[in-house]
Amino acid sequence: MSNNGAPKQSFSFADPDKVQNILSQYPDKQSALLPLLHLAQSEEGYISSAVIDTISEIVDCHQALVMDCVSFYTMLYTKPHGRHIIQVCQTLSCSLNGADGLVDHVTAKCGIKPGETTDDNRFTLMKVECLGSCGTAPVVQVNNDYHESLTLEEFEKLLESLK
Amino acid sequence: MPIVKIDDTDFTVEKGTSVLQAALANDIEIPHYCYHPALEIVGSCRMCLVKVEGMPKLQVSCNTFVGDVPSDKKIDGKYDMVVSTQDELVQQEQKNMLEFLLLNHPLDCPVCDQAGECDLQDYAFKYGNAHSRFEEDKRVRPNEYLGSQIVINHNRCILCSRCVRFTREISGSSELFVEARGYNSKISVLEEKPLDNLLAGNVADICPVGALLSTDYIHKNRIWNLDKQPSICQDCSVGCNVDVFHQKDQILRLTPRENHSVNKFFMCDKGRYGFHRFEEIERLTVPMIMSEGGFIETTWDEAIEKTVDELNGAGKGIAGIASPFHTNEANFMLGRLVNGNVGTLPPITSEEINYPSGFRISGDRSPNRHGMNDVCPSIVDDFASAVERKDIRFLYLLDDGIDRELNELWKGMLEKIDFVVVQSYAMTDVSKCADIVLPGQAPFEREGTITNDMGRVQWLRPSVTTKGESRPDWEIPMLIQSKHAGVEGLTDVSSVMNEMGKDFAAYSDITFFRLGDQGLPLNGKAEE
Ligand code: SF4
Ligand code: SF4
Ligand code: FES
Ligand code: FES
Repeated sequence: MSNNGAPKQSFSFADPDKVQNILSQYPDKQSALLPLLHLAQSEEGYISSAVIDTISEIVDCHQALVMDCVSFYTMLYTKPHGRHIIQVCQTLSCSLNGADGLVDHVTAKCGIKPGETTDDNRFTLMKVECLGSCGTAPVVQVNNDYHESLTLEEFEKLLESLK
Repeated sequence: MPIVKIDDTDFTVEKGTSVLQAALANDIEIPHYCYHPALEIVGSCRMCLVKVEGMPKLQVSCNTFVGDVPSDKKIDGKYDMVVSTQDELVQQEQKNMLEFLLLNHPLDCPVCDQAGECDLQDYAFKYGNAHSRFEEDKRVRPNEYLGSQIVINHNRCILCSRCVRFTREISGSSELFVEARGYNSKISVLEEKPLDNLLAGNVADICPVGALLSTDYIHKNRIWNLDKQPSICQDCSVGCNVDVFHQKDQILRLTPRENHSVNKFFMCDKGRYGFHRFEEIERLTVPMIMSEGGFIETTWDEAIEKTVDELNGAGKGIAGIASPFHTNEANFMLGRLVNGNVGTLPPITSEEINYPSGFRISGDRSPNRHGMNDVCPSIVDDFASAVERKDIRFLYLLDDGIDRELNELWKGMLEKIDFVVVQSYAMTDVSKCADIVLPGQAPFEREGTITNDMGRVQWLRPSVTTKGESRPDWEIPMLIQSKHAGVEGLTDVSSVMNEMGKDFAAYSDITFFRLGDQGLPLNGKAEE
């Protein structure tokens, strides 16, 4: 069973007008699912089960459908995370081009395995499915940015630049 | 209408028919997993690939539709589509797909409950390679409960999503979802919303592999040891068509049997697991007669003689209690025995449930109220209050069975009547009120016809043998009636149906042969 982490509390959007505005842009409520999830994540930092409950009520669909969507997109986080989220693509092209080395590098340097966050809350490391940029493998997504054709040296510099 | 050529044969099909549907309807096998006729098409498993002339790459046949092509564009001046299911490339791709689907599969058929009825096993054998090139470690995940009766073995799952679509489209409860993406995907359920609806058992049936398992059947037997008896569920008035799997007289499981006029492809869990409640009963197998110290066993000859004597002595004060749990034939013979002076007990009900797909679980827990009313036309519903007025001295009761509870009014009424005959299969509440108990059949032993609440007559077939000296439910009232009236008895259930047809026109042309495994609407209002 999937466990979407967080202790049960309630969530409501900070600005109901924003929610209405999003809803008004689509012919049916369920289409507003993704923008609402992004909005909630920008407010909460991640998608807690309370967020799922609230959104499933707003768009009028079962929580499992919301979870289906949330778990599909790796830019939606189901757990609290560090300041910088390092997502290393683990799919074919990236694997062949050294993605494992990048993951191992973070583990050696920061002492975290995929799924973990450093004690100082600086980094969260994740292995993700194809980021859709296979031609420039290996690819690492840091927060909302792609870093392509990374060598170990470039990756190391990149990590250093993230405070 | 468009003409499609599949391999070497031409088929005329409705516009918009998928290649897979056209092939399956004509007994051409195209291996497939994610396609299920009751569910939306997703085209995700890629098992059903075929070659379509003029298209650059192989197509999924489940999601490729035959349309009308303008006459100047027809292939060979004739075809709207030309399909090969046997092309070399198709065969190679089938091998590749199976190798891919089996990458992480544990190949544990010897301990898998699906073995023997598994599409993965069958297709791998028929279309697959005997070996795999995958040398890496397999992904191993532990089994999980998705609900109280359904376990998932993730390692066997091929992620066809049939189960997920079932909960969204058929039960409407949407408990299941595909979690994550790619290598990490798996079928999942939210902890606080487990798969516990009354249609949940169906997901184990529609899973094409051994991934979803019913805890009720898991590791109990092997499918090739079991006999399969097509029959009808007797747990509500819908009358779902079922297959009863049994080994000798032990029933192991029930699965739904396709009938588009009744249950389509599915059944509910009340009916699916309901057979267990008959396992523990103390089956009554010899006639019992009440004496000073309680019930004592007697012989059939004595029991029938005694009953006929009492019947003779009761003059006009005779009545019968029909049962919507019994077949048309048993109720018909009861009506004959008591000259149509028939009543019923109060109905046994539960909440009616309607699903978005149209599947329905009836609130009437009895399978044959419609038929009982048909063959006992002047039936009195509230019989307990009507009785004193009629001065009943002899009452013959077809027992509803172990689900029946008797209220005080009924107990009081039965006490007042001089002689009460109960025909039953167990020492139920009702049997205990009898002066004589005649052993009939338990539900899975019965044969005859039942009429569902939509007026469809269906053939109820026995899955297990009748126990001990018990007799068919139609035969017991028949024996008493023929002896009482001094007429020759009927020899089998078909001759009862014949007699029933003479009295009730709606049943006049009903025979087992005509009912077949799909049943018939009353008056044959042809839909077939
Ligand atoms: S559990 Fe069965 S039905 Fe569900 S996705 Fe897996 S293989 Fe398909
Ligand atoms: S809906 Fe009624 S007839 Fe169908 S399986 Fe359930 S109890 Fe049996
Ligand atoms: S395989 Fe890494 S981006 Fe596609
Ligand atoms: S059956 Fe056609 S893609 Fe699955």
